Amino acid sequence: MALSVDLANLALLGQIAVNSSTAVLLASLGEIVTERSGVLNLGLEGMLLLGALAGFAVGAATGDPAAALGAAAFAGALAALAHGFFAITLGANQVLSGLALSLLGAGLTGVLGRDLLGAPGLVLAAIPLPRLSAIPVLGPALFNQPPLTYLALALAPLLWWVLGRTRLGLLIRACGENAGAAYASGVPVRMVRYGCTCFGGALCGLGGAFLSLSYTPGWKEGMSAGQGWIAIAMVIFALWKPLRALFGSLLFGALIAAQFLMQTAGVQWAPVWLLRAMPYLLTIIVLTLVHASPRLRRRSGPPANLGRFFRPEG
Amino acid sequence: MRAPKISAVLLSLAALALFSLTTAAQPAWAAAKKTRVAFVLLESINDQGWTTAHHDGIEYMKKSLGNQVEVSYTENVLSPTDAERVIRNYARQGYDIIFGTTFSHMQPMYKVAAEFPNVKFMNCSGFKTRPNMGTYMVRVEQGEYLAGYMAGLMGFKDVGTVATQPIPEVVRGINAFTLGLERGLTESKTKFDPNKVNTIVWLKSWRDAVNETTLAEVLVAQKHDLIRQMADTSDSSKAACLKGVPAVGYGTDAAKYGASCALTSTIFQWGPVYTDIVKQVMAGTWKSEQIFSGFEGGGVGLASFGKAVPKAVAAKVLALKAKMAKGDDMSFVGPIVDQAGVERVKKGQKLPDQELLAMRWFVKGVFGKLPE
Repeated sequence: MALSVDLANLALLGQIAVNSSTAVLLASLGEIVTERSGVLNLGLEGMLLLGALAGFAVGAATGDPAAALGAAAFAGALAALAHGFFAITLGANQVLSGLALSLLGAGLTGVLGRDLLGAPGLVLAAIPLPRLSAIPVLGPALFNQPPLTYLALALAPLLWWVLGRTRLGLLIRACGENAGAAYASGVPVRMVRYGCTCFGGALCGLGGAFLSLSYTPGWKEGMSAGQGWIAIAMVIFALWKPLRALFGSLLFGALIAAQFLMQTAGVQWAPVWLLRAMPYLLTIIVLTLVHASPRLRRRSGPPANLGRFFRPEG
Repeated sequence: MRAPKISAVLLSLAALALFSLTTAAQPAWAAAKKTRVAFVLLESINDQGWTTAHHDGIEYMKKSLGNQVEVSYTENVLSPTDAERVIRNYARQGYDIIFGTTFSHMQPMYKVAAEFPNVKFMNCSGFKTRPNMGTYMVRVEQGEYLAGYMAGLMGFKDVGTVATQPIPEVVRGINAFTLGLERGLTESKTKFDPNKVNTIVWLKSWRDAVNETTLAEVLVAQKHDLIRQMADTSDSSKAACLKGVPAVGYGTDAAKYGASCALTSTIFQWGPVYTDIVKQVMAGTWKSEQIFSGFEGGGVGLASFGKAVPKAVAAKVLALKAKMAKGDDMSFVGPIVDQAGVERVKKGQKLPDQELLAMRWFVKGVFGKLPE
């Protein structure tokens, strides 16, 4: 039995691809801003979990979406601030500090969330936008989504504009490319880095809240299930560019949904394990390509000072 | 038969560090005459699935045996190396019996059991035994058969299953559910496609909330009329509920975790199994054996029926359950034909346990492939 490639299936794939990749998109957009300022934060998985738990707990207690989202963003930003203290002020190894944050987030939420398992809570359901959601294929994919998905979709072009076309973006990029030069020309490097790190943490926290309030409502231990690691791969796959992160997230989301869809039609299109490894494989391929071509590397490599400690006196 | 999933390993390292502190044994003076029982658990007791079911069983056993027993457990023991350390530790501390709750604990337990002939060991879903080491497992197929029977009686004829890992335990669950489904459909005189009553899609994970949701949404969009959750977490059931399609839960009661549309859940009840085994240890009658507990031993059960299940259907299902509890296990009684149409079990015959434990083929009516 062949699977018909009709509009209904395309619309379905589009909607699921956009919806299922929201957490990865938010987390990777946040990490792009963090890394463009020169700070490497590998704690996304931990911040997702902290955001998911904080958002769910406050949502369940107050029933107020704004309070829930605020709490999630705050939890993520607070965790990022801790990473920032080690990375920006103390000059600790950023890889280790980030990994520690991931482990801490998993352990801490496991303990703190015990009483909330299976509890009912706030659900932020899809809000169809009038008229727009009636457009075939694009309508259900882009205009019938939960609030945080709209936020993620809007943030990608916004961050592209801010990072690439504004003075603020120039300051951020200067801190990530050559902190010494930026400092010499009067940029408060450490403050910019703290700001970007906390902003990245806040977005990641919102990504977690998307999971616990919208996509997979409820609190479950370890519920991020590797989305944070995929987001880290996504930053590299996107070569630190917000719009490419949007494209990449949708691509990964669509790949997963498409292989499930194929299986329902009895088609084993590619081994499931291969598809699950796809985000990482594609990332390695992109990295290899960039390294192989000096021209690409100059234009699209990582920020030159990524993960490097900056001491103002030195 | 559970293999730890790779994505959980990193998370669990942190959880392990925190949780291992919380599982300290009780003071030695309390152990004077008590039987000391230790459990090695695969994941956290809050995984809402496999380990939660075992923890529920431990609580049940503690309740029924009261202060005659002293119980300790260690969570998040995923790797065999780690399991060996934890099991040996318990053995050294002089526990009377140690339970390893998953397939991956079998090998390390088999090794440690040889060093401590006076300690008793029990491994869940494994097959290796020693004079001081036995195995135990529940007959998942019995609950599956009944859940399928219920769905068939209600006329669901195009089920979509969120399948986890292609190991025999899962395969035989899918097969039994399908056989029960076909029986129910036949009894309720519902017309169905004999080659496609239950569509299988593989998640390749025991629990992965995000992909469970994605998969359930795909199945609902493909117009499947019932979503069969088989993952530990109930997110596929919940996703179905949100889309207005009923679901059947797995392992623990999905309705308890927010899937209000669940018609029922097949549940593992380790409590009676643990109580029986520990009682034997206390009485000195324990001997190494391979235990399979079905409805008759209380090892499996069905969660209470959802509102959508008609009284007449519930009554029929419960009547069949009572029959099975008396030892009339019809979950794999012939004639059974596989997907290719080859007769695997002759009329009136029953599949032996060894074949159930090694099952690698689908019955006719299952739509989907078994990955290599």
